[in-house]
Amino acid sequence: MEDDKKRLLGVFDGEEPLVQAFRKFKQENVEISDVFTPFPIHEVLENHGKKTRIITVSWFYGFFAAAAVLAFLYYTAVIDWPLNYGGKPSSAFPSFIVITLILTIFSVTILSLFTFSARARIWPNVGKPVCHEGATDDKFVIMFDTEKVDAEKVKQLLKDLGAVEIIEKQDSETPIV
Amino acid sequence: MYKTEIRGPLILGNKTLGQISEEITSPIYQRPKMWWLVGMGISSILMLLGFWGIYVTIATGIGTWGVNNTVGWGWAIINFVWWIGIGHAGTAFSIFLLILRQEWRSSINRAAEAMTVVAVGCAAIFPALHMGRVWDAFFIFPYPNTRGPLWVNYNSPLFWDFIAITAYLLISASFWFLGMIPDFATIRDTTKSKVKKAVYGFFAMGWRGSVGEWKRYEGLAFVLGGIAAVLVVSVHSIVSTDFAVSVEPGWHTTLFPPYFVVGAIFSGFAMVMTLMVIIRKIYKLHDYITNRHLDNVAKILVFVSLIMGTAYLTEIFIAWYSANEYEMFTLFRNRITGEYTVQFWIMFICNALIPQLMWFKKIRHNIKIVFVISILINLGMWFERFNIVITSLAKDYLPSAWADYSPTFVEIAVFLGTLGIFAFGVLLFFKYIPMIAIHEVKMVNKLKTDKKK
Repeated sequence: MEDDKKRLLGVFDGEEPLVQAFRKFKQENVEISDVFTPFPIHEVLENHGKKTRIITVSWFYGFFAAAAVLAFLYYTAVIDWPLNYGGKPSSAFPSFIVITLILTIFSVTILSLFTFSARARIWPNVGKPVCHEGATDDKFVIMFDTEKVDAEKVKQLLKDLGAVEIIEKQDSETPIV
Repeated sequence: MYKTEIRGPLILGNKTLGQISEEITSPIYQRPKMWWLVGMGISSILMLLGFWGIYVTIATGIGTWGVNNTVGWGWAIINFVWWIGIGHAGTAFSIFLLILRQEWRSSINRAAEAMTVVAVGCAAIFPALHMGRVWDAFFIFPYPNTRGPLWVNYNSPLFWDFIAITAYLLISASFWFLGMIPDFATIRDTTKSKVKKAVYGFFAMGWRGSVGEWKRYEGLAFVLGGIAAVLVVSVHSIVSTDFAVSVEPGWHTTLFPPYFVVGAIFSGFAMVMTLMVIIRKIYKLHDYITNRHLDNVAKILVFVSLIMGTAYLTEIFIAWYSANEYEMFTLFRNRITGEYTVQFWIMFICNALIPQLMWFKKIRHNIKIVFVISILINLGMWFERFNIVITSLAKDYLPSAWADYSPTFVEIAVFLGTLGIFAFGVLLFFKYIPMIAIHEVKMVNKLKTDKKK
């Protein structure tokens, strides 16, 4: 097991002290594994270094969904079984637009949701350990990997920065996503 | 000189974060109150009545309704359009105000979205029943079948409508649920009850609030918000093409899509107002839903009411200006005067005139009057749909084909049933789901609205 791998958690009780601490650790070049907050803090999200490509990916979903829907409409209404509705043309692009638009939106939603679910590991998994119970309420938690940072130095810094709690946990209790 | 008032904080009471979690989740821990049980009882009775109506409709057929060859669309379509309109508020609220970066939306959007999901669900019942053989409803899917394969008619607005409503229901529900995941996690981590921990833990889906989660969450919310904004506008435009693409007098106008979209937002915001006044009164959430929130919604209502008034007048003007005698007849002799005068004027007064009272600050700040106006708007919007659906159909081009329409008890029962479903859903929401987006409120807790970005 990876039990010797340890995590070090510094708990703060406000947004300000967390952001201060975050800046300090960045300055000191201490690698921060993860930050757990009750709401998104943009400074942390932007400077932590984790990237998301979900917006780009969604754009491609939309592009391919639109092409697929148009192809399907053309195949069914024009090639496979053209029906005569009062002499109107089978290849009626203007009335395909509406369906294409809506089904593109529909597909982008479904596919992006599944992408989000898979990448952020958000699915009904009851057993998944919670790193700190306050992190969804009123605590702001900053996490370090003891193998990558100097644990003693970090502990001292955390104390200086006003962390209300300093916890050590096993790796298995706080998986990084 | 006009002086701008300094705006107060969005959330009153200088709350700590823990206090916010505690206060918003407190209805979940309280024992059900008497009014809640009574409300559930009444809405269950209405629902049972509705199920009876649906049963009779399905077992016997559409003949149990008052619709006839001339007036083929009766209460079913009126109610369908009405519910869809109400359902527009949630998404409109979250999306438009998200795009416009209006921070005050965060206390209201959760309830508005909940309302959307329930209202769209109610709306979907009507066209399904109106198809006649509801067990064959799947024929509307374009699937490879053994009849050819015979595909559906993509030129028909009714098919567009089916696609739009399905997509709208799914997208508004997922947007709503996505917003709730972090709040379910809050409940999971703060509750002391094992059952609640398990149930809310299941729906929290392992949310921990890490950087990776928040970052992707915000990205996804941005994507869904952006495309749902298009969807809100297109769904009700499509509903309007059900009417506008036909050649009935009073329907066949290019005004219809914007007219319907604005009408939908109007009735939806009015319903949001109604619900907000109730929620804040019952759960004492005055610190979260402040007078300023209600004031903002009231201002939007005044403005939208002006647009509605303009749309009504435009319709009348164009009927006269086009010199089309059928249009003239429908508007002047069948709506403004004639058999359907009462319905027309209820619509006009409730939607275009009464909301104008909210120009006055005194009235906007009198919650009781605002509450009554918000209900009158939805009454007026129901009559607007009545005017559109019934008057045009009952008397169209051929006087020999004219017919009257009045709903039967079965139709009324189905409508009451959807009111019951709506009330039932909203009451369940009050009790089991945090009514205000906890993480969003925490985010704007310290903000003042006059903050420069």
